[in-house]
Amino acid sequence: MLAVTVPLFLINLVAIGGLYFGIWSKVLDAFSNEQTLNDLMTASRMVEYDQARHPAGTQDFSSLSFFRSTEKLGQRQREVFKDILNETNRSLFWKFTLLLALIAWGTIFISHKIAGPFFRFSKAFNELEKGDYRARVFPRKLDEGIPVAEEFNEALAKTDGLLSDLKALTLEKDASLAIAKIREKLSQVKTSADA
Amino acid sequence: MLKRLTFFSLSLLLILSFAPPYLPAFEPTPEDRELLNKIEKDTCQYFTHYSDKITGLTKDSSRAGSPTSVAATGFALAAYAIAGSRGWISRDHAYSRILTTLQMLRHKAAQQEGFFYHFLDSRTGKRVWGSEASSIDTALAVAGALLAAQYYPGTEVDSLAREIYERVNWKWMMNGSDFLCMGWTPESKFLPYYWDSYNELMVLVALAVGSPTFPVPPKAWERWLRPVGDYNSHKVIYASTGALFTYQFSHAYIDFRELDDQGINFFENSREATLANRDYSMSFSGHYKSYSGSSWGLSSSVGPGGYKAYGGKPGGGIQDGTIAPYAALSSIAFTPELSTQAARFFFDHYEKELYGNFGFKDAFNLDKGWWATEYLGIDQGITLLMLENYLNSESVWKKFMALPAIQKWIALTGLNSRSASAVRKP
Repeated sequence: MLAVTVPLFLINLVAIGGLYFGIWSKVLDAFSNEQTLNDLMTASRMVEYDQARHPAGTQDFSSLSFFRSTEKLGQRQREVFKDILNETNRSLFWKFTLLLALIAWGTIFISHKIAGPFFRFSKAFNELEKGDYRARVFPRKLDEGIPVAEEFNEALAKTDGLLSDLKALTLEKDASLAIAKIREKLSQVKTSADA
Repeated sequence: MLKRLTFFSLSLLLILSFAPPYLPAFEPTPEDRELLNKIEKDTCQYFTHYSDKITGLTKDSSRAGSPTSVAATGFALAAYAIAGSRGWISRDHAYSRILTTLQMLRHKAAQQEGFFYHFLDSRTGKRVWGSEASSIDTALAVAGALLAAQYYPGTEVDSLAREIYERVNWKWMMNGSDFLCMGWTPESKFLPYYWDSYNELMVLVALAVGSPTFPVPPKAWERWLRPVGDYNSHKVIYASTGALFTYQFSHAYIDFRELDDQGINFFENSREATLANRDYSMSFSGHYKSYSGSSWGLSSSVGPGGYKAYGGKPGGGIQDGTIAPYAALSSIAFTPELSTQAARFFFDHYEKELYGNFGFKDAFNLDKGWWATEYLGIDQGITLLMLENYLNSESVWKKFMALPAIQKWIALTGLNSRSASAVRKP
């Protein structure tokens, strides 16, 4: 069980951690002092380019230029956020697809490991119900519940042995001896009939 | 001996008489030629250094945080082809860089009707900074792609460049008007600006008219305004800003020397504009330490107060003592002597502050003790291509003029060969 849950847990942890730090590192990088300064410079350069290319519309009021630069910068920040969001969504899509596949595989694997032994136990109980005490549970190598199955098989073997002995004693010619032996055997067994 | 001398003189006369009439006869000294070659090679390295190794997209500026610019990427395509042909990088390496870039432009770079967005993310090619799908920047990218294709005919580079060009719906960019619109954004659709008056538009309109898939009618070439201005006896069809680059960009690719446009020769026009620009800055030489006969070049560039459309007269004439060395250098085809002299002056006097690994930095202003610390991609590009034309047998012009699209544009617009007509100044 641990062989499955531990890797799944680790993968989840790495994916979520990576995603978290990935997003924040991009945001921090996009808004680092250096990058903000660069963006500010580029915003004002973009406005200057516009003014140089369309001089007729140019009003060289520094405050107007400042507002236009701020608008450009705002536009740029929206682009940066949109990019981060898009990139995150893209990255999330692939990571979640992988995670989903892993979870699906894990679920199938685990359910097989647990459901398989239960089925075998159920089959053994059916056999017992029918009176066949030779029935045993044979789990697969990687199934869950191997120790329980072993104990169960041990208990069944003992019961099978007792019933076999009792069955053999019924064939004894000396009835009083047979009854004594049966009593001895049954004295080791506790049932609802006991006081 | 006399016979030999006579023969030599006659031969020289014959050679000179066949020389292009507008290429002023000036031969730089071996030292100057060496300097110009060094500048060209160093400038070229901007593109190998500041282009993304995976996508090929080129940074708009060497400044940290700068996005990539599609116009700079176009110049990069030309730069790789030139570098490969000059042996600065191996031909195979140049091919591979061009191929990577073209694949990015063809398949991933954000575009609308084939028009690339002005600024792109270097890794994803997505539109950034809310930029517009730009007609001029797309034209510069396409021009670079077509030029690179000329260096590698019949290859994947060739077919990709053609696909990129043929995808551009130039007609759509006219938005039902007579002129090409400057751009389009998903938010506001077509910008309220059109290429309706002289400036760097010529290469754009030429490619649009010559398009094999979505050509614009020749009237898009004929109808833009050709305003005539005069400064210091230099009569010029002028751009509104008077920025020198507007007289240079189209000439990086198109050889206008032999083209006559309604009596105007735009090569001659750019020469006059360069002289007027120089005269204009010299008229302020008493006010600003940066300006002199050897230190000139008013063009859009970074300055102490940010990027401005500096320029001369006729035109806006914005100046504050800032000189853009690239502007003087990029006029080398028009004013070889003056441009060489300026290059020598800038290098000899300001090498420490102004010259770096990638050639001259964008600008300087002595009065404010200000030196640009950055290179701009398009300014590097124009410098490189103009120097290549000047130093390497007009190789860019020859390859670009051979394009069927350019031949189609010439035929459709009636740009007669100038040799057949008299020389007419604007």
